[in-house]
Amino acid sequence: MSAAATVVRLDDAGGARVLLETSRALPLVTISVGSKTGSLVDPLGKDGSTRLLSRLMRRTAGGLDPQAIDTRIDSLGAALSADVSHSTMAFQATVISRSLNEFVDLLVDVLSRPSLASAELERLQRETLAELKDSLDDDRSLARRFFRRRFFGAHPYGRSVSGTSKTVPEITSADVQSVFQRSFVRGNLVFAFSGDLDAARAAQIAKRISDALPSGGVLADNTPEPEAVAGRRLVIVDKPERTQTKILVGCLGSHTRDEDHVALLVANTIFGGTFTARMTKEIRSKHGWSYGAYSSMPIDRRRQSFIMSTAPKADDAGPCLKLELDMLHELREKGVTKAELSWAKRYMVRSHCFAIDTAAKRVGLELDQTLYDLPADYYSRYTEHVQAVTLEQANLALQKRLSEDNLLITIVGTESSIGSSVREAVSNLASTEVVAFDSVD
Amino acid sequence: MSSPGSQSRGLWGPSPKLREKRLSELNAGATPDGQVTHLETVAFGPSLTVERFRFGNGLELLFCEDHSAPVIAYHTWFRVGSRHEREGKTGLAHLFEHLMFNEVEGRKAGEFDRKLEEAGAESNASTWLDFTQYNVSIPKDQLPLVVKLESERMSRLVLRDPQVKSEKEVVANERRERVDDDLEGAVSELLWATAFENHAYRWPTIGWMKDIEGFTTDDCQEFYKTYYAPNNAVLVIVGDVAEAALLKRLSEAYGALPASTLPLEDVHPEPPQVAERRVEVSKPTATEKLVVGYHSPAMGDFDHPALSLLAEVLFSGRASRLHQKLVRELELATEVRAFVGPFRDPGLFELFISAREGRTAEQILEVIDAEFDKVRSEAIPQEEIARAAARLELGLLAGLETVDGKASTLGFYEIVLGRPGAAFERLDTTRRVTASDLIRVARRYLLPRFRSVILVRPDLSASSDDDGEAEAAQ
Repeated sequence: MSAAATVVRLDDAGGARVLLETSRALPLVTISVGSKTGSLVDPLGKDGSTRLLSRLMRRTAGGLDPQAIDTRIDSLGAALSADVSHSTMAFQATVISRSLNEFVDLLVDVLSRPSLASAELERLQRETLAELKDSLDDDRSLARRFFRRRFFGAHPYGRSVSGTSKTVPEITSADVQSVFQRSFVRGNLVFAFSGDLDAARAAQIAKRISDALPSGGVLADNTPEPEAVAGRRLVIVDKPERTQTKILVGCLGSHTRDEDHVALLVANTIFGGTFTARMTKEIRSKHGWSYGAYSSMPIDRRRQSFIMSTAPKADDAGPCLKLELDMLHELREKGVTKAELSWAKRYMVRSHCFAIDTAAKRVGLELDQTLYDLPADYYSRYTEHVQAVTLEQANLALQKRLSEDNLLITIVGTESSIGSSVREAVSNLASTEVVAFDSVD
Repeated sequence: MSSPGSQSRGLWGPSPKLREKRLSELNAGATPDGQVTHLETVAFGPSLTVERFRFGNGLELLFCEDHSAPVIAYHTWFRVGSRHEREGKTGLAHLFEHLMFNEVEGRKAGEFDRKLEEAGAESNASTWLDFTQYNVSIPKDQLPLVVKLESERMSRLVLRDPQVKSEKEVVANERRERVDDDLEGAVSELLWATAFENHAYRWPTIGWMKDIEGFTTDDCQEFYKTYYAPNNAVLVIVGDVAEAALLKRLSEAYGALPASTLPLEDVHPEPPQVAERRVEVSKPTATEKLVVGYHSPAMGDFDHPALSLLAEVLFSGRASRLHQKLVRELELATEVRAFVGPFRDPGLFELFISAREGRTAEQILEVIDAEFDKVRSEAIPQEEIARAAARLELGLLAGLETVDGKASTLGFYEIVLGRPGAAFERLDTTRRVTASDLIRVARRYLLPRFRSVILVRPDLSASSDDDGEAEAAQ
């Protein structure tokens, strides 16, 4: 079973791009409306504009009062949220199928007729600032935010999707209006439906929404490729009373159009992609240093990072970090083994069934493929691509794509208890920066 | 929808007559412990049914045949959780959950996970107050492997000092991550320890740190012998497999495992709370937090569905009363959340509210008290009740999309209520809740004398005032 085998692309929806898989298993309909623009279109110095827009659309649909909208959504047995990333924005809705018609009326208003009232924008800005304060309580999120800011620097991927306490107050009604007008045009949207509805109904809904929007095409994504950090850089995010640390170690990673992208995915699976991968085995099972020990390779339209993630207690932070760096060195120097490669390929091919075991997941993959401009067969021939990876390709990809020299190490912890041990753990440090955890802007 | 215990057939599965014939053939060749009895057919929503079987050794099986995807969810639920522990040995059920992934006789340490991952499986486990559950989702052709591995670790686990020592370290790190360095985790732990003085719900599932550090291999071996027996377990299997083939394989694998004598549970009911308990703590956080726990009924109590619905009306979603009041209208809070404990014994109706900068936990509590006064005296309109019921219905349906979601729902309701299809029964009950029911539960449970209050004050005194300092390269 592959995603492509069951998802259909409808061509009778008045020009709108529509994906559908009907499933009568449950009386639920899932609707996603994706925009091919995300927070990268935020005006300069106004990070968070697109995310504010998405929330404001949901609150001001058809000029209604936000409470009336929330009451309506709940009464219908529906849920509606918006996800914003650097490159995309997607409204995700689930509704009990008996309420589909009434829910669609509301969804059309959310997507095509939000009032974007300035009073509501101001209220939302105050809420967002309070939420940013609250997020300081989450160490994992802090580590990710500092990592991204330092890793991508001035590159657009270094900007914050949520905005910051400096940028959010600067956003004006004109800014969100401008992002709305550029993003919500017919050609920029992709519709994805799954569940208890047929092709005719899906096409009708997509056409209705599309017809309510102005014409216009996809905005070009002119984001440049990011550059690697220079040298080994250590950032200690100082937070009081931490018994534990959150460590992220990263270098530039992969692009989905690299010829060795899948080879690197397979190699990452061996290194830190599963519960029995090298990182878990050494750091968690052998030493008991961290509850979780993983590596990951996020994807976007441009190259992203390769990140190792652990959370050792303060006393173990230095030794754990040193071990991670040694393991990365060994991975690049010696590569993976034939036995490991065979094992990883079996795991990736067999477990793929859980990425496509529901209609909503199958449609979701196709939607991602379209929104992120992934290669056409990225998901539909995923298992074939994995099977084709050779030992030589996997090891060459590790040497070519990963770096030990140009690394960013971000650690959230209490500097007075971890500072010296983590500095000692990293040889050839180009710079060390200590920042207060509440200076995340 | 059929009522529980009815004999309607689902989409798949044999007729009762054919099942009887097949069981007779199977049992003729099985050991006494491996012989299977079909106990009942239970409705599970509008289109699925669950078959309940019991093996000779007491092992129960709940099986839901579902061919919607070529995958199988294989869950093993043990009727042991942190409620079965005692002072000084808290966290043992959870530590044991970790050890179950380690070494089995005749296999190397770690081989369990390695084999499962090679088969493409997704596996995990969880421990809570009333249960420990192990879940594996597998491609359909890997069923023989998971039956073998799961039946092996139910009786032939190897427990040695090095594994226990290493796993204690991992669990201690998990505790640091989820509790010691996590504001919500730490405050929730404090709330339960304040609200309960007698019942085992007063200690956290993960255990106190000193207890985790003190466990011995002997503690673990004794726990295994006591609780990990087929007559203390329920298998919940949902997915793309035919009933007869499954039963044969399970009978062969589990039929050799003997039942054990389970200890009488040493339950200490919590005496009624007679006065509010209030604790104030300082944490390195930017704003005040308010955490409140009202003693609430057990999940099987007649009042539980009504109180859960009242929690929806008051706290769930942006249209809820307290969200509207605290977040939107008065701008006192960033977020409000509430949760009525779904446990075998009475638990807590927990509230978590994060204040905005410059606002106090006391200001928020005052608003909550006023709203609670209102629901104790005024009828909640029918539209509001229906809206909350629709939210609960959506939540239930959305959780049933995968075979794993179905198995989790069945297993949870079986362990806590003894009725695997009770999720849909509760939904029906919820639809019948009236305004009078809501007034009754508000007056019975939402009283200040029944609550514990934790006030969290921000203390960032140890934080650096600088925005950052750059050091020279070494």
